Amino acid sequence: MKRLATGLLASAVAVAVVTAAIELLKPYVPVLSLGVLYVFAVLPIAVFYGMGMAVVVSVASMLAFNWFHLPPVHTFTLADSENWFALAVYLATAVVVSELAARARRRAVAAEQRERESALLAELATELLRGRPLEDELGAIGERAADVLGVESAEIELGAQHRPPRGTSPLPLEAADRNVGTLYTPEGSDPNVAARNRFLPALAALLAVAVDQDRLQGEALEAEALRRSDLVKTALLRAVSHDLRSPLTGIRTAVGALRSETLTLTPEDRTALLETIDVDSARLNRLVDDLLDLSRLEAGGAAPAPELWALDDLVREAVDALGARDRVEIAGESPLVNVDGTQLQRVLANLIENALKYSPPGSAVHVRITATRKEAIVRVVDQGPGLPEYELDRIFEPFYRRSGDTRAGAGLGLAIARGFAAANGGRLWAESRPGQGTTFAVALPVVEVPAELKA
Amino acid sequence: MSGRHVLVVDDEPQILRALGATLRGAGYSVDSAATAEEALTAAAARPPEAIILDLVLPDGNGTDVTRELRSWSDAPVIVLSAVGEERAKIAALDAGADDYVTKPFSVDELLARLRAVLRRRAASAEPIIEVGDLRIDVAEHTVAVGGERVKLSPHEFDLLRVLAQNRGKLMTHRALLREVWGPSYQVEAHYLHVYVSHLRRKLEPDPASPRYLLTEPGAGYRLVDPGV
Repeated sequence: MKRLATGLLASAVAVAVVTAAIELLKPYVPVLSLGVLYVFAVLPIAVFYGMGMAVVVSVASMLAFNWFHLPPVHTFTLADSENWFALAVYLATAVVVSELAARARRRAVAAEQRERESALLAELATELLRGRPLEDELGAIGERAADVLGVESAEIELGAQHRPPRGTSPLPLEAADRNVGTLYTPEGSDPNVAARNRFLPALAALLAVAVDQDRLQGEALEAEALRRSDLVKTALLRAVSHDLRSPLTGIRTAVGALRSETLTLTPEDRTALLETIDVDSARLNRLVDDLLDLSRLEAGGAAPAPELWALDDLVREAVDALGARDRVEIAGESPLVNVDGTQLQRVLANLIENALKYSPPGSAVHVRITATRKEAIVRVVDQGPGLPEYELDRIFEPFYRRSGDTRAGAGLGLAIARGFAAANGGRLWAESRPGQGTTFAVALPVVEVPAELKA
Repeated sequence: MSGRHVLVVDDEPQILRALGATLRGAGYSVDSAATAEEALTAAAARPPEAIILDLVLPDGNGTDVTRELRSWSDAPVIVLSAVGEERAKIAALDAGADDYVTKPFSVDELLARLRAVLRRRAASAEPIIEVGDLRIDVAEHTVAVGGERVKLSPHEFDLLRVLAQNRGKLMTHRALLREVWGPSYQVEAHYLHVYVSHLRRKLEPDPASPRYLLTEPGAGYRLVDPGV
């Protein structure tokens, strides 16, 4: 409506301006040849308002020319055939120009539309292929698709079409005979047909790639998880094979010998066999304990019961529990920590036992305690062969054994130590250089000495 | 004190201790070693009549120890293996080990295997080998079951002869193929299974449940005297 009104107004102004111009030029130029100036009224109207308005302007121009300039002036009498000729020229101009203009305009609009579409597709491709989860992006994609299609809103649903939401009409998203999903636009809206035919298949193809990518990524993650759990299973199998079977073999051999009626055992050998049963069953028991602890830690079921402890006391108790007082030297401060005493003793005992195992026979293991205002650190230092850089973190993985090590236990001690350290708000790490021994460090938050305990 | 000398090699001190006491109780004299190097040194210092050898050692494996031993000793070797170590076990047997037991083993089983490998040592040079009711005349190329002659093809006879000369010993597929068909002859293991089944039909009282020619799944065959 508004466009029609402005068109009419513009037409009137254009005709008036040209009419006035002819009036001004009339004294100098034969009036009949001035009629061609009305082309300047028809031309812009045809360009901007299309053929309909151009025809109106043509007729109005002819009438104005006739009324104001052609003798007899102020009548609509068309005395001469020139008048008809002028009208024909205006009309022809109107039709040709408006058609050309309209075509150019359509092309421009289409080009702009296509540019918007391809810009959107390119952007979507970048975003989708960046690997963000597709589901999270669907809302934004829908909005922008609505913009391209010239509708108010659009929603995208992946997979088979369900019942369309109320008040929407579905447009299938199909790529290479595969139904990728559905785009819902408001009912009665009129999506740009060209855009729909061009844009939707491209969008569908893109979504298909993204869906496949999502799926592949999921499968890859799953495969990786499976591979890891396979590794754990293999490690577990190996651990069970070696660490359960060795003590079992010792026990079965000893029991078999003690029960045999054909063997003649000396008292010393009987004692030795009983001792084997004792040592190996204790070893089995420890392994079962370790496995249970580890599974509890991994299930998050090892809630600590924190109490205030002097860190050096815990170290001493751990050393005593190992019966290793003569091989361990303890030095340093005596900070207070708020930890589960049993669990932290376990951490320290595992570290010290480990250090003893890898130290040359007869050499001492040093335990040093340092404290800052925030943290207390226990360092367990051995004089063993040390660890290469790449093993510093791996040795904390359950069932991990140092490379080339056949003596090691099930590979659970350090994993359990790290688990308990973390459960008590601490950190556990290894520092080493090959050939220079290994240091295991536990850092724990320090607690201020409560006022009532201060001397 | 004591009779035949046995070397026990295992890196687990408790197993070493228990096996030592057991073998002494059975009348053997025992040396023990915890590493491959110790084992070879001990075997050289005091040559054992049999060796009980763990497959996994801190400084090597049982196969390498067997191979090294075989270059200067023919003392029978019994390998201690575990489930999951089948490949290593076969490798050790191929390298010249005589038999194996799987951990955890029973004392009686180990002692029986030990007796068997020690007994076997005398057998290989005999011109006539008797195993239960079987009588194999190596020189004449004839076989009799319970006094009755049995006709065997040349390959069947060779296979039986090799098994009989190693009676009680577990012979791996590869060892049998090598002995019977020669080292350069590429014969598949399933040829062997076919020949063994032929032999069983001709020699066994009940071929469906063999008593002489026993299958060691995944490893090989052994010929035993059902009466022992």
